Amino acid sequence: MGEVPAEAPLSDIRVIEIGYGIAAPIACRSLAEFGADVIRVESERRPDSLRTMGAGWLPLGVDNEIRRDTTIGFGFTCPGKRSVGLEIDGTSGQRAFHALIANSDVLVMNMGVEAVEHLHLRYEDLRQVNPRLIYLNMPSFGSAAGPYRTYRTWGSNLSGLAGVTMLAGWPDREPTGIPLSFPDYPSGHWAVIAVLSAILRRDVTGLGCEIDLSQFQVAMACIGPSLTEAAITGTAPQSTGARLPGRAPTGVYPTRETERWVALSVIDEPMWHALCSVEGLELLGLETELDTVEDRLAAHDDLDRVLSRWTSRRTAWEAATELQRAGVAAHPVFDQWDVLADPQLEAREFFRILPSRRFGAELTYGQAVVLSETPAHHERAAPAFGEHTRHVLREVAGLEDDEIESMIVSGEAHEMSQPDLRLERPFLGWIRNIMRLPWPDASVSTADVLYQRYANELLADE
Amino acid sequence: MSEDEAVRLSTPSAPDVGMLGGLRVLDLAGDSLAYAGRVLVELGADVILIEPPGGCAARRHPPLVTMTTGATVSAFFAYMAAGKRSVTIDDTAHAGRSLLERLIVDADVVLLPDDVDAIKSRSLDETTLRSLNEGLIVTSLTPFGGNGPKRHWKGSELVAWASSGIMAGMGDPDRPPILPGGGIAQSVSSLNATIGTLLALRSRQRTTRGQLVDISMQEGVLSISLESGPLLALEGRSQARIANKRHIGPAHGLFAVQDGSVEIVAILPRQWDAMAEWIRDELGIEEATLDVFRGSQVSRTQFTELINSWVVELAGRYTKEAFFTEAQRRHIPSGLLNSTADLLHHPQLDAVGGWEEVEYVDAGQFRSPRGPISFDGVAVHVGPVPRAGQDNDEIFRTRLGLSEAEILRLHADGVI
Repeated sequence: MGEVPAEAPLSDIRVIEIGYGIAAPIACRSLAEFGADVIRVESERRPDSLRTMGAGWLPLGVDNEIRRDTTIGFGFTCPGKRSVGLEIDGTSGQRAFHALIANSDVLVMNMGVEAVEHLHLRYEDLRQVNPRLIYLNMPSFGSAAGPYRTYRTWGSNLSGLAGVTMLAGWPDREPTGIPLSFPDYPSGHWAVIAVLSAILRRDVTGLGCEIDLSQFQVAMACIGPSLTEAAITGTAPQSTGARLPGRAPTGVYPTRETERWVALSVIDEPMWHALCSVEGLELLGLETELDTVEDRLAAHDDLDRVLSRWTSRRTAWEAATELQRAGVAAHPVFDQWDVLADPQLEAREFFRILPSRRFGAELTYGQAVVLSETPAHHERAAPAFGEHTRHVLREVAGLEDDEIESMIVSGEAHEMSQPDLRLERPFLGWIRNIMRLPWPDASVSTADVLYQRYANELLADE
Repeated sequence: MSEDEAVRLSTPSAPDVGMLGGLRVLDLAGDSLAYAGRVLVELGADVILIEPPGGCAARRHPPLVTMTTGATVSAFFAYMAAGKRSVTIDDTAHAGRSLLERLIVDADVVLLPDDVDAIKSRSLDETTLRSLNEGLIVTSLTPFGGNGPKRHWKGSELVAWASSGIMAGMGDPDRPPILPGGGIAQSVSSLNATIGTLLALRSRQRTTRGQLVDISMQEGVLSISLESGPLLALEGRSQARIANKRHIGPAHGLFAVQDGSVEIVAILPRQWDAMAEWIRDELGIEEATLDVFRGSQVSRTQFTELINSWVVELAGRYTKEAFFTEAQRRHIPSGLLNSTADLLHHPQLDAVGGWEEVEYVDAGQFRSPRGPISFDGVAVHVGPVPRAGQDNDEIFRTRLGLSEAEILRLHADGVI
């Protein structure tokens, strides 16, 4: 491993992850980036669905043992972790898993309650192995009780169940929803918060604990104000298209570019006066029947026509910068490419190129949690399946080499497949044209240079 | 961490005190970090809302709703301020600034207001605050973060979605893009801010120094964009607005039931087999289970219209709750679309106590969703929503040691 700065907030913490999809993996990703040693325990019998997808550009017929290292989303959920291929339902697999648990501080899972029972992963099972263990599971509806306790869902199902989908759409049409497994992400965030709280308490009391998290209720918590409104009034708030409830004017307006929009939101009175100071919109300030937000909400459609005429004569960037210069909250509606080339994100070093065993170099996101003194550290990209099996089973679980060998032979443990096979993301050759990431000399293969620069250290203790 | 702090943080073994019992947080009453303050309340911290005399702007954050007592309150504020204490301080007055500074000297965490300009004009920047208390953790959530060319740009929930790239893929193809409702950008960004705050607390145990937690709402939303974000663009996946998901494939998408819609995702071979059996059992359509329909979803696509005519008929016999229950029993992936009002009486939430009775001081009782987590079987909880300044006496007298006469004079001068 590379150097974890000693002052990293979690440099003394080891985390075992049994994670699928997004929720548990992104939680452990954050723990890793702030210094924890995160070990992903991965199964071939119950593979992570993100592993099985593979890269979109990969030819059909490529062996699954390579495909599982290529999903781009996996590069988002798992940077900085180590991967151990281990089947924990066999005798020696379970023994090895218990040895890992005994030498760890935290276990994070997002498993259904039936699978937890079947695999002997209940808190009662594991606290015997490590009484100081901080144990977190986050099934869709929590483990505690209720008719939904054993139900299985996907993120989009949970968004629908939790009321999130019906809040996204036009009031005169069916809801559109959000094109995300929305509850996964805040569930991952909540898991980090819960684990950190438990670590802070354990620092003082020495006590481990069991944390139970309901992803369904996480999604509800994120729209808490809307649910509180429904509870007080007895009526569900309506979806509002691109408008912010109770503020005016707000919306998404056309520009002189095709399919390019600018978002504009006046959220208080000073901002309304700022809007009225923009060249070409001064007449709005003379309309006394627009003085209050109630007036403007009532006249919103008329206001939209005036604003659309103004925005339609400008590009999205021109409109946004002119409005921002006056003090109005506005922004071009970015697409995915705009995001990659955004000077703001560049200044914040949001995107990262990290060394990767399979790819040499891998593009991923940085951290949205920015600390001034003990920042996230980005050491390496997501691991290949089983990349660290031997090392971790020897150094952390304390197994002998011949035990590890026989587990690999019997299929209870798995190593990285074809470790010398190197792939390259097709876009890494040209993406420098739109992103200004710190990048090595263009005349040399990007992957090779980055790999040389970072990976010697990485491989040194393999 | 000082010995005093160690003692304060060491009391929380009783569930009532929570995980962060003894942690002192000053919430400067911005909208953006309101949820971070609530999460810290749920974890047991003592969160004090610092409001201007007369109350903070968040008390009038739309929508305003009428309680059964006739009182008009902000649903946003009711949810976000539950369990916080409140003091009123005019920190633009000299005496008020001095009170605020004395509270800061004694605090662990300050949650800054939203507005970058206000932070500067009120001297609430990290350098100034940490010169009063080196161990202080200063948590900031702004539209674009504290550095970079847009650091002074104004923001909103809408701007956060527009700048993240997700919005471009949301909505109907014949209309402009839309944004999610419910204030989700603020919520997820507040969760990032809470994570940063707790990490900074752990760092402080080693270094004794606090630090700045600098959260950008653009990055907060971007970090939840895996399935529609830039990485997928690089893989060649488009981001078209596809409108609603009604009948998007055979036994896949939204289908109408008696009281709304359900979402069915019977894509895998075994999932279709279960769906076909249900159609046969319920509608008596034997041919649904024929081999010609079995296997991969691709092989069924040519029969989409026929298959969905069966699914429509089947779904039409059910309410959404009954359909969902039966589909789950048959291991068919499905969900249903609840409105926020549908969740007010819900079997799962009733079973786990998912709604919490909360008192809004002077305005009456209401219900709001309980925090989503439990520690050792004890679910988190909040407390009453405070009246503006209701804790002035208690906090100024016991924490700052002011006399009754001093408090009266500050009140008479309009400082508190």
